[in-house]
Order: sequence, then C-alpha cells, then structure tokens
Amino acid sequence: MAWELLLWLLAFAAVIALIGLSAYQLICLSDLEFDYINPYDSSSRINAVVIPEFMVQGILCILFLLTWHWFPFLIMAPITYYHIKLYMKGKHLIDVTEIFRLLNGEKKYRVVKLAFYCSIFIVVIYRFVTTAVLLLIEEDDQALESGIF
Amino acid sequence: MLLSMATFACCDLTASPHLRRCDLDQRPELSKGSVEFVASTEYMVRPPMPPLYFFLIDVSVSAVCSGLLEIVAKTIKSCLDDLPGFPRTQTGFITFDSTLHFHNLKASDSSLTQPQMLVVADLDDVFLPLPDDLLVNLSDSRHVVDAFLDSLPVMFQGTSNVESAFGPALKAAFMVMSQLGGKLLIFQSTLPSLGVGRLRLRGDDLRMYGTDKEHTLRLPEDPFYKQMAAEFTKNQIAVDIYAFSEKYSDIASLGSLAKYTGGQVYHYPSFQTAVHQEKLRYELARNLTRETAWEAVMRIRCGKGVRFTTYHGHFMLRSTDLLALPAVDSDKAFAMQLSLEETLMTTQTVYFQVALFYPYLSSRSVHGNAVSSYQRYTSSSGERRIRVHTAAAPVVADLSEMYRQADTGAIVSLLGRLAIENSLSQKLEDARQSLQLKLVKSLKEYRNLYVVQHRLGGRLIFPESLKFLPLYVLSLCKSVALRGGYADALLDERCAAGYNMMILPISRMLKLIYPGLFRIDENLLLKDLKEGQVPLGQLPLSAQSLDPKGVYVLDDGFNFIIWLGRMLASDLLNNIVGVELASFPDLSRVVVCEHDNEISKRLMRVLKELRARDPSSHQSCRLVRQGEQPRELSLFLTNLVEDQTAGSSGYVDWILQVFRQSQGS
Repeated sequence: MAWELLLWLLAFAAVIALIGLSAYQLICLSDLEFDYINPYDSSSRINAVVIPEFMVQGILCILFLLTWHWFPFLIMAPITYYHIKLYMKGKHLIDVTEIFRLLNGEKKYRVVKLAFYCSIFIVVIYRFVTTAVLLLIEEDDQALESGIF
Repeated sequence: MLLSMATFACCDLTASPHLRRCDLDQRPELSKGSVEFVASTEYMVRPPMPPLYFFLIDVSVSAVCSGLLEIVAKTIKSCLDDLPGFPRTQTGFITFDSTLHFHNLKASDSSLTQPQMLVVADLDDVFLPLPDDLLVNLSDSRHVVDAFLDSLPVMFQGTSNVESAFGPALKAAFMVMSQLGGKLLIFQSTLPSLGVGRLRLRGDDLRMYGTDKEHTLRLPEDPFYKQMAAEFTKNQIAVDIYAFSEKYSDIASLGSLAKYTGGQVYHYPSFQTAVHQEKLRYELARNLTRETAWEAVMRIRCGKGVRFTTYHGHFMLRSTDLLALPAVDSDKAFAMQLSLEETLMTTQTVYFQVALFYPYLSSRSVHGNAVSSYQRYTSSSGERRIRVHTAAAPVVADLSEMYRQADTGAIVSLLGRLAIENSLSQKLEDARQSLQLKLVKSLKEYRNLYVVQHRLGGRLIFPESLKFLPLYVLSLCKSVALRGGYADALLDERCAAGYNMMILPISRMLKLIYPGLFRIDENLLLKDLKEGQVPLGQLPLSAQSLDPKGVYVLDDGFNFIIWLGRMLASDLLNNIVGVELASFPDLSRVVVCEHDNEISKRLMRVLKELRARDPSSHQSCRLVRQGEQPRELSLFLTNLVEDQTAGSSGYVDWILQVFRQSQGS
C-alpha cells in the first residue's frame, strides 16, 4: 500500500508541475498579445519549457499505464498522442516569425491542455487522499491486531 | 519641429458653427496628409548607428566562371562614393567557398595598403580571427577597399572549388555585424553544401505536385534559415539575396532570409555576363545608393470601429500592429487587411495613420578635403525622424457605392499576395481556385444588388471600376509564381517570382502580371526623326495582335522580349541583330546592343524610353524569332495571358466560367 501512496504523491507533484508549466506558457503568450514582452523573449521562454513538459507528461502517462490505473491513463492518453504528433511534425516549438499569425491557435491549445491537467489534478487529489486515509485505517487495524492479542 | 504636448493642446476655436481650431492653418500636422517630425531622445532605444554595408560573396567556380565576380567588384567600387552616411559609413567583406575568407581592410597607422586575407577552415565552430578589424570605416580605409575590389576577381581566378559553406559564412557575417546592424548583401551562385544549413538537392520532384506535400517544396527546408532571419532582425540587419545559379539553389530557403528581415530577392537565372551585366550593375547600384531608412519600425493605427488583422510583405511583426524593418526604402510596398469591429459604423469618416520611425542620414556625397570640422560634426550625427501619413476614407451605407469606388490595382495587389501566401500552405491548384472563388463571390454580390430590379437574366453584371478585375485575376493565375504545375515554371524561378510579388508596388505588379506589348517596327523605319515620335500604344496580349511582318517588344518591368516576325524584311532583321542572321541562327546568344546602323540606334532609343518609365529596375533584353521553338514558347507566348495555353483557359473562356459561376446562387 505504501507504494500506492508513493505513486500518488509522485503523480501529485508531477501534475502540479504540469499545471505550472502550462500556465507559464499561457502567461507568456498573453503577455506577448498585450505587448508586455517582445516575440523573441516570449518564444525563447516558451521553447525552453516545452520539452521538459513533454517529458514529465510522458513519464506520468507511462506510470499510470504500468500501474494499471486505467482512468487517469485514459485522460492523459490523448495529450500524449497529440504531443507525439506535434513532435513528429516538428511543430512543438514556437517559431518567432510565425508567432503572431498562430497566436490564437496556440493559446487555445494551451487552454485545452490546462483543462485536461486540472481534471487530472482532481482525480489525483481524490485518489491520493483516499489512499492515504485507507493506509492510515489499515495501520490502525494492524495496530489493533498486534496490540493485545 | 519638436513634438511637445504643451504647445499643442490648447487653442481657441473659431465661432460656431464651424468650431475649428484657430491655428489650423499654421499647423501642418493638422491639415496635411504627410508630415515628418523630428523625434526627441525618448523615442530612441540607442543613438543612430553608422550605416553598414556588408558583402558576403560566394567565390566558388560557378561564380568566377560566369564573370559575376568582376561585375560585382566593379559596381561596388563605382558606388563607394555615393553610399549614404558619409563620413560614418562602414563596410566589410567576407568571401567563401569551402572555407571562409576574412579580409582585413583596416588602414592602420602601420600603413596597411594591401588587404590581408585570413582563411578559416573550421566550419563547425565559426570564430572571427580579428574581432575588431573586419569592419572598417569607408572614408578612412578607402584606398585599401579599392585595392581589394580591384584584386578580387584576380584572387580567385583559377579556382575549382564547387562547395559552398553558406551557413557558416552567414553566422560569421552575423557575428561581425551584430553590434551595429546594417545591410547584408549576399551573392550566391550555387546550392549551400557545407556546414550548418546545408541544403539537399531536393529539387523539383514531379511526383510531389498534386499531393498534399507539394507546398513544402516552396517552404524553407532547414529551420536554420528562419532562426537566422529572426536573429538578423533582432539585431537590425536587413538581408538582400542575389541568386545567380542556373541549377537548383533552393531560393525558397535562401529567400526566407530576405523575407523576414525586410530585404529583397534578386534572381538572375543562368547568369551570363552578356545578357545580365547591365541589369546587375544598375540594380546593385540602385540598392547601394537609394535612400534607405535604417532600424525603422512602422506602426499602423486606425479609427474606431476597424482593426487591422493581417499584414503582407517583407518584415518582421514585432507586435500586433508594429512592423520591424531593419532597412526599408521606396521600392518596397506593404499590404494590410482590416476588419470591421462593429456592425454599424456611426462615424462619417474613418482615419488611417501610418507612422515610420527612422534615423535620417543624407545621401549626399561630400568629397574629402573641403569638409570643415564643424560640417563634419553636424553630418556625422544622425537624427531620428517620424514620417506620418494620414488618410481619411468616407463611410458609405450603400454597398453599390463601395463597389463604384473600388480600386482594382489595390485589390489585385492584395489578392496576389494572399494567393502567394496560400501557395505556401496549399497546392497551387487550390491557391488558384481560391482566387477565382473570391472573384466570383464579389461579382455575385454585386449582381444580387441589381438583378432583381433590372431583370437582367443572362448577362454578366459588374461595376465600371472593376471591369479589368477578371482580366487581372486571370493574369495572376498565369503569372510565374502561380501558373500550372511542374512543367510550367522552374521551382527557383517560381519562388523568386513569389518573393518578388510580395514587395512590389501596385503599378509595377500590374505591369508584371499584364506586360505591355508594343509594336515598334514603324518607329524603327521612320525616316525623319523627332523626339517622342509615334507614341507606343499598348496592345492586348493575344496572338492576334502579332503581325508576322512586325517587330514587337514585351515589357514586364523586369525583362524586354523583342519578338521578330517570320516575314520581317531580312535587312531590318540583320540591322537589329547586327550580324548576318543566316550565319548565326542561335538567337539566344545575341546581345542586343547598339550596332553601327540607324535602325539599331532607333531601337536603343525606344528601349531607353521604355526603361525611363520606371527607374526602379533595369530591364534585360532578349531576342526571339517567330517559330523558334521552344524558346519562343517559354519566353514569349506564355506571357500572352489572353490566349489559351495548355491547361489554362483563354480570356473569353475565363469570362464565361466566371459568369456561369456567379449565376448559380
């Protein structure tokens, strides 16, 4: 059971990281739209975090698959598939010269991803708390068993 | 006058009902359409930099053998006096083939009168051998630069190097120029083959046409080029590409450097000294000496209720309404689309304002000794100016009124740019279809305004202002950038034509897609000579205008094609060509120049008059004889847009198609 708890703890940390990275990219794009930063800085900041985000998301998805938690896996799977498609086409990084043409599309894509990550977050929180509570109850049971008798 | 809010804001108004400001007549910025302000220091990020012209020259075997190097060196040398920004102008040269050659031109106190060349063979990790000495002040090191340009053709005369390390050379040029910005002129004669950014011979693949992957042929192959273009614009460097190769040299990739830095692509396919040298000389000289605005940014504003959505041209978008133009001049044009924000416009007029921020440097050449120290101080400081154009357009509630005032030239220019941008993401076929669709839709709308009231069933209804629009759209579909498929235009020529059309002003673009056809044999045979004799009348572009007994000139602004009819008198023919035609059947080698007879002199005069109509480019001249296949077809007949050619319709069929499509509702 302890492994379960560890898994959910790890998942919790990963989803927080994913939400953070995704929100950071969204903020960079909206700063660009409102003229707070120039396109070179914006695109270099976003491009710096795209690959780490892909890796964390991929690891999380594989983790869910390996430990056979099918529901979180099903939520993460479309994102993984989309990431792989983008990487194959070479479109995962932001191009400075095209950024203004594609601004709305990129923002929409990141908002959808953020929605997915938030739903995963809810699932992870729920499972984390239930696992922790169950673990504590079992320990209590074990304490009862090995206590007097 | 300096911008100052305090003096600007308050003023009395005249008595009602006019309520105008009393000082309206004294303030040109309130009443004139184009005004220039001197900007105060708050508008400057950094003080204006000295203008820098940097030359990156390919010296592989194809460049040397075609005689290109000599012409380039001579032209640059002749323009050195007229480069703007005297006495602060700086310059530098890098040549490259399979290695990079840096040239130290600095005339230091140790009296270095001969240029020094340093060769760097390490292409993976490019470094500058002399970080500080590669850029020199032109007036200080003038004699060294002259010596270098004289020796340049001789230096590489016997070379047999076919490789071209374009990417490393580009990075080296960037390292040299990144502090100051300026103009980078690249002369490339072959496909980049070594180092970073090397391009495969992806060439023109017949199998790709008609598939979804077709548009990738027209896109840059390596992301290196777009990244370098972004870096160049960030450091205020504008890139002009001169491409000379007769084989495939991937202009789609090279041109993207010019596209995102506000530069220009010049293409001389299969460069031959005889045919192209005048053209190269003229255009290079114009490029170096025309009035240029460095480190410019352009901002566009409009009144309430409209918003500018997209921009078309060669520039980098720095913000949603800010265009970064590292070096801009009067030969470039930009197009933008606006959209209505509100459905009901309550104002009577809508205002548009374009502002260009640029440092002002005069292009007068001040020769050496007479410059006093005071003069030197004033002319070496640049001031920053803002040129503002303001235009007002009336708002009409009636759609038919808007059609009546439509400007065909502007519409065609915008449609052309949109079509070229479409061709970068779709098949050529689809790009042409969308052009036709736009035409049909606009005619359909107009028809719906009138057909009910007048009950005109079977006729094509269009406004007087748009009477040439179908013809121009047909010409766009048949232009080099958009025509046909694999066999109709070489990929390099297609891409170069595409880049060209993105920057052309309206009149030049209309001339390019619908060239002027003139009959000149009467002019040549006139006995009594007067200046401005028989005015040249423009003929419709169809084979019916061609008389086998005549001599015709086709002028599209970039090339002259002289067409000689089959039944032309042979002495006229020999006089024009200059030699006995029977002994010299290959007209592609004939150079049209002034021969020693009256007819030839008159011909030159006619060509000169045609060239003088547009000083921004110099047309190269070619001869073609009726019946001389396949040259006649590729050079001349494909330009006759009103005729039917293989795969595309003639003018009459086109109008019928448009009519039928606009009928169906």
